[in-house]
Amino acid sequence: MMQDLAKQSRSITSLRDFLELLGDAGQAITWSERVMPEPDVRNIAVAASRDANGAPAIVFDNIAGYPGKRTAVGVHGSWDNIALLLGRPKGTTIRELFFEIAGRWGDAAAQISTVPEARAPVHECRIESGINLYDVLPVYRINEYDGGFYLGKASVASRDPEDLDNFGKQNVGIYRLQLQGPDSFTLMTIPSHDMGRQIMAAERTGLPLKIAVMLGNHPGLAVFAATPIGYEESEYSYASAMMGAPIRLTKSGNGIDILADSEIVIEAEMQLGERVLEGPFGEFPGSYSGVRKAPIFKVTAISHRKNPIFENIYIGRGWTEHDTLIGLHTSAPIYAQLRQNFPEVTAVNALYQHGLTGIISVKNRMAGFAKTVALRALSTPHGVMYLKNLIMVDADVDPFDLNQVMWALSTRTRADDIIVLPNMPAVPIDPSAVVPGKGHRLIIDATSYLPPDPVGEAHLVTPPTGPDIDELSKKIRAMQLGALQ
Amino acid sequence: MSKTVCPRCATGGALADYQGKEGGKVVWTIHRCPTCCFSWRDSEPDSAIGIGIRSAHFAVDAANLDRYVKILQQ
Ligand SMILES: [Zn+2]
Repeated sequence: MMQDLAKQSRSITSLRDFLELLGDAGQAITWSERVMPEPDVRNIAVAASRDANGAPAIVFDNIAGYPGKRTAVGVHGSWDNIALLLGRPKGTTIRELFFEIAGRWGDAAAQISTVPEARAPVHECRIESGINLYDVLPVYRINEYDGGFYLGKASVASRDPEDLDNFGKQNVGIYRLQLQGPDSFTLMTIPSHDMGRQIMAAERTGLPLKIAVMLGNHPGLAVFAATPIGYEESEYSYASAMMGAPIRLTKSGNGIDILADSEIVIEAEMQLGERVLEGPFGEFPGSYSGVRKAPIFKVTAISHRKNPIFENIYIGRGWTEHDTLIGLHTSAPIYAQLRQNFPEVTAVNALYQHGLTGIISVKNRMAGFAKTVALRALSTPHGVMYLKNLIMVDADVDPFDLNQVMWALSTRTRADDIIVLPNMPAVPIDPSAVVPGKGHRLIIDATSYLPPDPVGEAHLVTPPTGPDIDELSKKIRAMQLGALQ
Repeated sequence: MSKTVCPRCATGGALADYQGKEGGKVVWTIHRCPTCCFSWRDSEPDSAIGIGIRSAHFAVDAANLDRYVKILQQ
């Protein structure tokens, strides 16, 4: 059965394939009761995301004012959905999923195939004149005070304006897009992100910046394209390698490599030097961003499949789909990078608010060693901006089991065994920052004492642990579910 | 210039970008304010779009648009 699931996972080429797979596993539902775009879609998405382990994807097909249109939320909204994407059964633990992803890191080869444009499903329907994004996208206000209608799960592909032929320097990333009328949208980014760099390069040189916005994509792309990989590595190659499966590409009408099986692709060109008001937007820390002036893009064409599915996300105060979407893949690179210097690191949990709080388990080599590892974590690419609170635990504590983490905090932490690093870089949307972009870091050492510390370790009770116990707890859960049927 | 007033910055002149229709009948209209770039649907709850009801914290001061920072300055 495990092999079947792995094979099914590798055969996914599109959102549609994945929704079918999820549906067969009881992990996707169709909401055909009539809903208002606001507040019903948001309310239902929030209610679903209360079940971080088991929430299904939801496809709405009866939205007031949008006859015949469909929108999907929660495709990556639970650990069970992530498990199925990775070819593992429902009920796989977060820890197991973490090691599934960590094990694939740097291990596999990319398989990219090219589909001629005329045969690419994404180009089945093409709009080049009379463009109105609202004709195609059943948008809704994601959070009540958002400044407009957002595309919250768009993968944006672009070429480096100064190196148009370089496949590797093509960028694919998730950026929030706010509709600004029938044929325009703003894109929010920061200078250090690839898109920010490309926008600034285009404006410096006066070269055009063309992009392709992909909506309703291969579910592996959203998980693996949000990764902080090197600028010259292709996100498509990376996603293919991590999925262990081929990725089918084609060309957009404006010459950018796009996924051949996406639901919708919007082609657009940046209006050099122009800025319009963008925001607020309810962001992942659970607070609204400010209003700023952001670059604006004009839509030049839209391609879409027949009867397309507009995929969106609920993001806001956690727990939300955003956390399951990026959590494990935020954690795995930090783990891999730490282990290059410190093989004593046994797991990294950076699931919470994109890693604003991280929990790292480590085999303590000597007194204070965990703090050394924590400082190294702060200098990883993600740690530089995001790892604000770090909790260091011993290797006998599973950082994904918060009951165990609380045990370590309760029994192994001295109030003076913490470090506060003042006035460090901070992600600008952290609401607790001193000023946006600058804040304090906290390291809590919740590991046990080692010589020369005179206290030493307490004599511990050793309850049974390990894979056998994990299987038993899954069996109990399955028996419990079976008893209901 | 339209008389539709923006619930966020209270200026007039909002544009109608799209009408959701069912069986030829308009169900709702999406408006956009050319001053503060707010977009809304006229079927949304008053808490989001009701003038005087919507939270003042999210208002935009149309007389002071210079205070909003331009991102990605060279
Ligand atoms: Zn306004």
